[in-house]
Amino acid sequence: MQEASGSSAAEAPRAVGTLGLPEDASAHGHRIDSLLALSHRFDFVLATVMLGWLVLMLWRFRGARRVAADGGTQRSRALVMVAALIIFGVVDGTLFARSLGYLDEVLWNFTEPVGNPNTVRLEVNARQWAWEVRYAGQDGRFATADDVVTWSELRVPVGVPVWVQLTSTDVVHGLALPNFRVKLDAVPGRVNQTWFQAAREGTWEVACYQHCGTSHYKMRGTLKVMAPEDYAAWLREASRQAARGHDDSDAPAHWGWEWRPAP
Amino acid sequence: MRLFSTDHKVVARQFLWAGLGFLLLGGLLALLIRWQWAYPGRPVPGLGWVLPESGGALTPPTYTGVFTMHGLLMVFFAIAPLLIGALGNFVIPLAVGARGMAFPRLTALSFWVFAAGGVLVLASFGVRLGTASAAWTSYPPLSTHVFTPGVGQTLVMLGVVCAAVSSFLGAVNYVVTVVRCRAPGMTWGRLPLTVWGLFLTSVLNLLFIPVVAAATGMLLLDRLTGTRFFLEGAAVVGGGDPLLYQHLFWLFGHPEVYILILPGWGMIGDFVAFFSRRPAHGYRGTVVAMSTVSALSGLVYAHHLFTSGLSPMLGRAFMTLTLVISLPSTVMFLNWMMTVWRGSVRLTAPMLAAVGAMGVFGLGGVTGLALGAVATDIPLHGTMWVVGHFHLTMGAASFLAVFAGLYFWFPKMFGRTLHAGWAKAHVLTSAVLFIAVFGGQLLTGYAGQLRRLYDPYQYTFLKHLLELNQWTSFAAFALGLAQGIFLVNLAWSLRKGPAADANPWQVGTLEWTCAPSPPPEDNYARVPVVVRGPHELSQPEGHERLGRDWIGQAELLPGEASRAAEGAEEPGSQVPSAGGAA
Repeated sequence: MQEASGSSAAEAPRAVGTLGLPEDASAHGHRIDSLLALSHRFDFVLATVMLGWLVLMLWRFRGARRVAADGGTQRSRALVMVAALIIFGVVDGTLFARSLGYLDEVLWNFTEPVGNPNTVRLEVNARQWAWEVRYAGQDGRFATADDVVTWSELRVPVGVPVWVQLTSTDVVHGLALPNFRVKLDAVPGRVNQTWFQAAREGTWEVACYQHCGTSHYKMRGTLKVMAPEDYAAWLREASRQAARGHDDSDAPAHWGWEWRPAP
Repeated sequence: MRLFSTDHKVVARQFLWAGLGFLLLGGLLALLIRWQWAYPGRPVPGLGWVLPESGGALTPPTYTGVFTMHGLLMVFFAIAPLLIGALGNFVIPLAVGARGMAFPRLTALSFWVFAAGGVLVLASFGVRLGTASAAWTSYPPLSTHVFTPGVGQTLVMLGVVCAAVSSFLGAVNYVVTVVRCRAPGMTWGRLPLTVWGLFLTSVLNLLFIPVVAAATGMLLLDRLTGTRFFLEGAAVVGGGDPLLYQHLFWLFGHPEVYILILPGWGMIGDFVAFFSRRPAHGYRGTVVAMSTVSALSGLVYAHHLFTSGLSPMLGRAFMTLTLVISLPSTVMFLNWMMTVWRGSVRLTAPMLAAVGAMGVFGLGGVTGLALGAVATDIPLHGTMWVVGHFHLTMGAASFLAVFAGLYFWFPKMFGRTLHAGWAKAHVLTSAVLFIAVFGGQLLTGYAGQLRRLYDPYQYTFLKHLLELNQWTSFAAFALGLAQGIFLVNLAWSLRKGPAADANPWQVGTLEWTCAPSPPPEDNYARVPVVVRGPHELSQPEGHERLGRDWIGQAELLPGEASRAAEGAEEPGSQVPSAGGAA
């Protein structure tokens, strides 16, 4: 579906009736998706057993003649504890262990973007109601004259780590890349960090997930995943134009910061 | 009924009417949200006179006010006053065998402070720039004067402070009443589970209401006096920290969901025992489980902040604690199930409501698991999945618990009997439609629909969800209409309902066995002397010596010597009951 860079998920609505997660276009999102699918199977089994047992019991014991007059025997009380521990161990234990695996190896593992020489760095500044995106330009450094800034359009190359530093100018926003399993708050006065890696070229949607005022629902952007050579060519040209058009007196435009070390 | 009465039963009714009024208002606001998601921007039928400029259609500013006030009204002005203000005030003194609350004037004060808060909140709808619109969480900087300058936001925040003060005063009263005013012989192990639930809720209120009062107070200072606790960014130089507010808010906000469900858990525990005609399975285990959940409730809050840039250390810790809290919840839930097992089930309206509350709470519980683990929280964070999850637990389950309690204690409160058939019909349709509405929200959330969007279909990846949202909205409208059953039943029963028996449910707790319906102002002619637990049902000695399947908590069997405290009054405070209604 997403083969050519011209085609675009951001413009082609999916068929009605597909209620799965948004399509995954990232290198690591499948790990979350499979864990979530497993957790839904747990949910389904637990919910079915619970509701089924409840309804069955109401039917089976409705107006029953014989009643157990005790508040549970030692055995039945032990049974409850054992059952609770088994459910807890299996369901919560699996979720915990596999979630921790993802966190340690992907989400909180910044050695990947730090160590990879091809890593692309982005500074994102959220404001009511747009995403300002800053690219380091040809000199590879932020907060310099050749920084490229785009509005509500992120551009990244495919197949390399993308390391994002995020803040906000005004209120709390939330940067969501639904197709890349990325969510991070943009908080004024703080720089939050995350990273992801696109697996396929195409155009995807950027959404705000924190209520940020009247036009919160319009704080939509796009994420363009490009072939590395296309990205390099675009950045070179945009950086040259940015350096030429740089206006030293335009203070509000200079919101960029020196790249921060990994958390 | 005196307006400024200090009788806990009168104050309970005041909370009941006020809470039902706000429930109605909050529910109507919810239906407006559902309309907007089904027919974005289309005029709402019959709303033209309220919103003349848009011809009755919701505009983005109106919509933000609507969903903000839906949340705030439901949490602070509907569920809390109904479950804690109305049922708590009514039940606690009666169930512990007290002649009233420990501090009667505090009881009245807590209602009138609440009422003042309600007036402020209602007034906010009429001011320029409209009511509060920064979501029920009121995250700064959005909720400060810089981004929400209207006086409506200030009025609502003051209203929330009033509701907080009211809850705090009520909690002081409840805790002291349970600790100090129990009848002779009413040991902790003989308290009905409802009292345990209300007691634990009150303890949590005492601990965490001051936190939300502090956060809201600091926000009000920012708005009104120019402080900068939570302001930061381009709008200020040398500001404070918006994230501090989020921590304070959720340090209260997460216990709050337990505050709003613990009384319901207690009632479920009691009602499944009463209407399975057997003692609660593992009473002690259930009490320990409820207490453990209460103790843990303040230690899990940061799962609301998994995407806020939380340090990995805190992320790990809060993920662990969040998952751990499901263990005592499971023990409690299984104990309820085991109570019904080998019982003799009576499908009364309170029982159906309690079982319905169990069902929706269970669904809400399992759908919360994925939100408690950081990795699976990411795709679901801030989506309708979260909305569906917490509406099942603190919306649907609390709502059904309110009606379980109301249908159960209505005869005692008003001395009249509700129409049982209509009560059951109301409970059943509500439970089924709750699952439909919040199930639909879970599905759209899984597909990625974000919360609080005026028009979700701005996003291409959400366009295909319109049809599902419409079906969910139809279920919500049906749920709204179904409440008419309750209103008609209520109006009819209050005027024409048959006089209630002292003990229509044939159970043994003090309010049913030692006081008529309704009880006199000082509750008990003679303070009962408690000799047994709250669920003495289907006991062989009861069958043999009394010829019935229940024994009153203060009832001595023929020939049984008084086991109560020495020097206590003569037993025999039992009120005769013709029995057998419903």
